[in-house]
This record gives sequence, C-alpha cells and structure tokens, in this order.
Amino acid sequence: MKGTLRSALLPVWNVLCMLLAPLDRALQPIANVYNRTLGGHFGEMNGLQFAVISLGFAAIATVPFWSPFYSETLNITFAVASIWAIFAMSWDIQSGYTGYISFGHSVLSGAAGYTIGLLILHYDPSMGPATTIPVAVLASLVLGLVIAVPSLRLRGPYFSLITLVGVLLFTNLIFAFSGWTNGELGIHQVDPFTYEPWVRYYYMAIPMLLVALGLIYISRSNVGMVLVTIRENERAVSSAGLDPTKFKISSFVLSSIPMGIGGALLVYYGRAINPTSFVEISNSIEIIAIAVIGGMGSVVGPLFGSFLFFFLEEEFLRDVIGDSSLRTLVLWLFVLSVLVFARNGVFRVIWHGLGAVRGDSE
Amino acid sequence: MLSGLPAVLINAALISALYALIAIGFTMIFGVGGVLNLAHGALLMAGAYVYLLLARDTISVPVFESMTLHPLLAFPLAVVIVAVLSYLLYAVIVQFVEDNPVVTFLATIVVALAATEVVLHYAGSATHTYTLIPDGMLPSTIDIGPVDGILTVDVVGFVVSWISIGLLWVYVTKTDSGRAIRATSMTERGAQLTGVNVHAVRARTWLVAGALAGIGGVFLGASTSATPNMWLHPLSLAFIIVVIGGIGSIKGSIVAAYLIGFLQTGVGEYLGQNFRGILSLVLLVIVLFVLPQGLFGREFDHE
Repeated sequence: MKGTLRSALLPVWNVLCMLLAPLDRALQPIANVYNRTLGGHFGEMNGLQFAVISLGFAAIATVPFWSPFYSETLNITFAVASIWAIFAMSWDIQSGYTGYISFGHSVLSGAAGYTIGLLILHYDPSMGPATTIPVAVLASLVLGLVIAVPSLRLRGPYFSLITLVGVLLFTNLIFAFSGWTNGELGIHQVDPFTYEPWVRYYYMAIPMLLVALGLIYISRSNVGMVLVTIRENERAVSSAGLDPTKFKISSFVLSSIPMGIGGALLVYYGRAINPTSFVEISNSIEIIAIAVIGGMGSVVGPLFGSFLFFFLEEEFLRDVIGDSSLRTLVLWLFVLSVLVFARNGVFRVIWHGLGAVRGDSE
Repeated sequence: MLSGLPAVLINAALISALYALIAIGFTMIFGVGGVLNLAHGALLMAGAYVYLLLARDTISVPVFESMTLHPLLAFPLAVVIVAVLSYLLYAVIVQFVEDNPVVTFLATIVVALAATEVVLHYAGSATHTYTLIPDGMLPSTIDIGPVDGILTVDVVGFVVSWISIGLLWVYVTKTDSGRAIRATSMTERGAQLTGVNVHAVRARTWLVAGALAGIGGVFLGASTSATPNMWLHPLSLAFIIVVIGGIGSIKGSIVAAYLIGFLQTGVGEYLGQNFRGILSLVLLVIVLFVLPQGLFGREFDHE
C-alpha cells in the first residue's frame, strides 16, 4: 500500500526537486555560515532547510502583525498553540527520545496549575506571577521526581500504565478534596498577564521559543544521544559505562520543568484551573497526538505539530465544517492517517524531503 | 433503601460480574497480539449505542432507519455488530501498525476519541437510559433475601456474564480454534511451530473480544446510562483489573474483577463515593511495584 503511494508521488517529487535544487544551491552559502558557527550545537542544515526554519521562526515572531490578514482569531489560536507546543516538546524530550512513553504528562502541568491556583485561593490572593511561577515550576519538578524514581524501574507498557494511573489518581484526588480545589468547577480567581491580545501572544510565544532552543540544544548534545540510545538499545548504554536509570530520571525531570512553565502559562492564559483543561487524560492524549503528527524524537517536530494541530482545529476546519463534533472527528481521522501512513511525523517527512532535493539524501 | 452488609455484598457481586465482562476482552487482545487496545472502551460504548439504535427510537442515523426491535432480538444483534466492528478495527487499522506498540497505543486511543465524536454527532451529548427487560416479562426490581430493590437488569447481567464466561471457557479449552488462541497467547513462536496460523488467531481474538465487549457494553449502558464519554471509566477499570490479574490471563481478570468490584463497592459505602476510585488505583500501584506480572500473569514478553 505504501509502495504504490510512493511510486505515484514520484513524478511530483522529481518536478519539485528540479525547481527547488537551484534555490537550495543559492541559499547554501548562508546556511554554511550558520553551520560553521551554531551548527554544532543545533544541528547542520542545507540551504533550503535553513531558509524554511528562518522563515518559520520569523513567522512565529511576527504573528500579531500578519495574522489579521488571515483571521481575527489567529493570534489567539497561535498563543494556545505556543503553550501546547511547550507541552509537546517537553513530552518529546522524555518519551520521544527515551522510548519510555508517558501517558501522564498532563499531571505535571496540572501540578503547576493547581499550585498557582491554591496559592492564590488559600494563601495570598495578591500574589503575582513573579512569585507563583517559580513555585509552580518547582512543584512540577518535585512531582516529576516523585513519579519518575519509582516508575522508571518498569518497562514498556507497564511504565505507560503507571503514568496513566498517575493521571487518574491526580484527577480523583482533585474531586476527593473538592473543598480545597473546587472540584469540577475549578479555581477562577487568577488575573491574567494582560488583556491586550497581541501582548498576550508574546507572553506565550517567547517562553515557547526559549524552551524550544533549550531543548533542541540538549537533544543535539551528548545527553540527547544517550537518551536516543536508551530508546534503541538500553544495554548499549550500560555497557558504555553509563547508568541508564540516571539518564531516564533526568530526562523526566528535564521534561517536567518546561511542563511546569507551560502549565503556569496556561493558568495565566485561561485565568482558570479545572480538571478538564489541565489534568484529565484527554490532555495527555492531545499532547501525544501533537507530538506524533509533528514527529516524535525531534523537538522541532512537536513544535510544528502544535501549530499545525491548532491551525487545523481552530481555523482551517472551523471555516470548512460548521458542526463541532464532525470537525473534531475529521481532526482525529487526520491524526490517525498520519499514524498509519507517516508514523515518523509530517514535519520529518518535509524536513528529509528538503534535505534531499539535490539528491544527497540523508 | 440499600444499606447494610448484605446489600453491599450483593451489589458488589453484581457489579463485579459486569467488570469481568469488561476486562476479559481487553486481556485477550493483549495476550494474543501484545496490543493494548485503548479502543476497548469505545467498543463497550458501541454496544450501548447500537442497542439503543436497534431497540429504541430515541436516536437515528442516516441510511439506517431507527427501529424498535424486541430486546431479545436486539441484544444478540448488537453483540454481533460490535464483534464485527472490533474485527474491522483490527483488519483496517491495527494490523498495519501492531509492530510498533507506541503507534498502536495512539492509533487505538485516537479511534476511541473519534468514536466519541461520532456519538456526539448522531446522538448528541444527552444521557440515554434504557432497560433490557421487555415490558411485562419481569418486574424492574426484585428482592434477594433481606435486600430489596435490586435492578433486575443487573441480575440478568450477572447471569449473562457467567454464561458468557462459561462459553468462553469451553471455547478456549475444548475447541481447537479456541486452544489456538490460548497457545498463541502463551508463546507465539511455539504456536507457529505447531502449525497455528497466528494471523487468523489474532483476527479471531478481536472478534471474540468484540463480542464480549458488546455484551458488557449493552449491560453497562442498561445499568448506568449511555453517554458519549462512557468509555473512559470502564477503560481505566479494565486497565486496573487486567494489570492486577496479570496481563493476558483470563482467569486473572475474573478474579481481579471481583476483587476490584468488592473493594470499590465497600469503599464507596463506608468511606464515601469520592474515594471509590482512589483505593483501587493505590492497589494497582502496589501490585505494579510488588508483583509487576500480576496475580496470574507472566512477564511481558513480546519482542
């Protein structure tokens, strides 16, 4: 099935190569400057890849300026996409890289969210983000450790199960202590950063880009290489004299810090913390779906995946299909077809395509 | 109305029978293919909604006229339809991705989410309730010993649960096609070497598991209600039960289903409904750490 699809697309691909190859050659000198200076830290690219990444970066940096030409809501959509990009990238550095798939990442952002909510509700309502956010990130880091240390003794589906149990337990606890957490209704006493939509976009996008840079740097370093090796062959890590457990735990902790940042941003974005939008299992699934359509194990893939997912959900499909459940159905069928036909992710397909326009396939 | 120890025990036994039905299909699919079928909850939901479609005229879909069949006709029909849906899930999606456990996880959970949207689209977010008992055939509640006001449908569910378990037991121990399923879940290579067509066994397992999910789903919907999100809770229950019982073990899931059923009902009665779920999750965590292969299971080995 996949073979016929590939041969059907071959002529299209050849024409594209013919058109793009000169462009790639023209851009190569600029890319070479980057490769010499930063390439060692963030990965080398060819001319076309460099152009696409720079354009994408510029587009994300200037959303409030061009988004009104597409639609009024686009900059809100992309602000949300930025937060979920943080979640998806955090999930990716742990699950996508080590192959220990976590079903429970929404617990980490939930811990950050509920820390802020409980502080404001029960301790001091006048607390600002400057004090609450560090505490929240610390809370999610501690919870990350609490989950990682015992659960990473388990392998394969058992690890996934225990992280799933983490989510269920957390959700149950929120309802069991409704007196403190307001149960289903959640906590609504949070003031946002700002009410100005375009400023709010930058409050979400700038941390997202910083997290992205940090995670890409780590993933291209020796640590990233060890994490990938854990996924491919854990014994090889041990035989190289490294302790895989230590790396697995640090990848989980590494992922819980940005999860905490994302959770805090989501609180100040949505001004409310409730189980539905933070903790419940559907949030974890959405994080995974975003990471997978972008491409697991690449950090940039999940970032791309998040913008694609929210663009499709909130903008493109909203214009095409009126009915909300039908729209979500189409979105899930899209995710399903990516899983079946391009399980390495849409971004990776595009990226390797760009890398191979001059025939020197990676 | 319901109070005291006898009521707790009877209710626990009734609910445990339902839990067993929910968990067995899930564990069978895991045992044979190494596939964690997260769409199992969606199959349960399909059972409830297909029954609604066949026996009640509250919802309708295009092409298919809504009808009001007699429950005795609608029930087996719903079970067959769910079994076919389960088979199609395997044939159309799962068999192409089952070599990669992560992709299989995701594909099946996405199917479950898509199923939610299908239900929302055609049946709306409203809660549908129905009873399986035809008018005038049996009273809607009956008394057992000192306890009165027990829903007849739950008692019928209990009986049907044990009939299904009995039939399943006969199938997997007495017939060649059933024994092939058991052999494959014990060792896939061994089964292959003795001439078992593993591919056909997998497809058959999905069919059988789908039928069990269909039965469970119809009774689940009848004893609680049918809603678009009704799949999530039973799915997490199936998880808990299957891990405690030992992944892949049918006997284990029956024992664990009763363990969890009694635990949850007891906790719900004596500690409060909010704590109902927590204690079984704690039990699950303990089992995972102390006895990762469960009560009756073997170490996970599907390389």
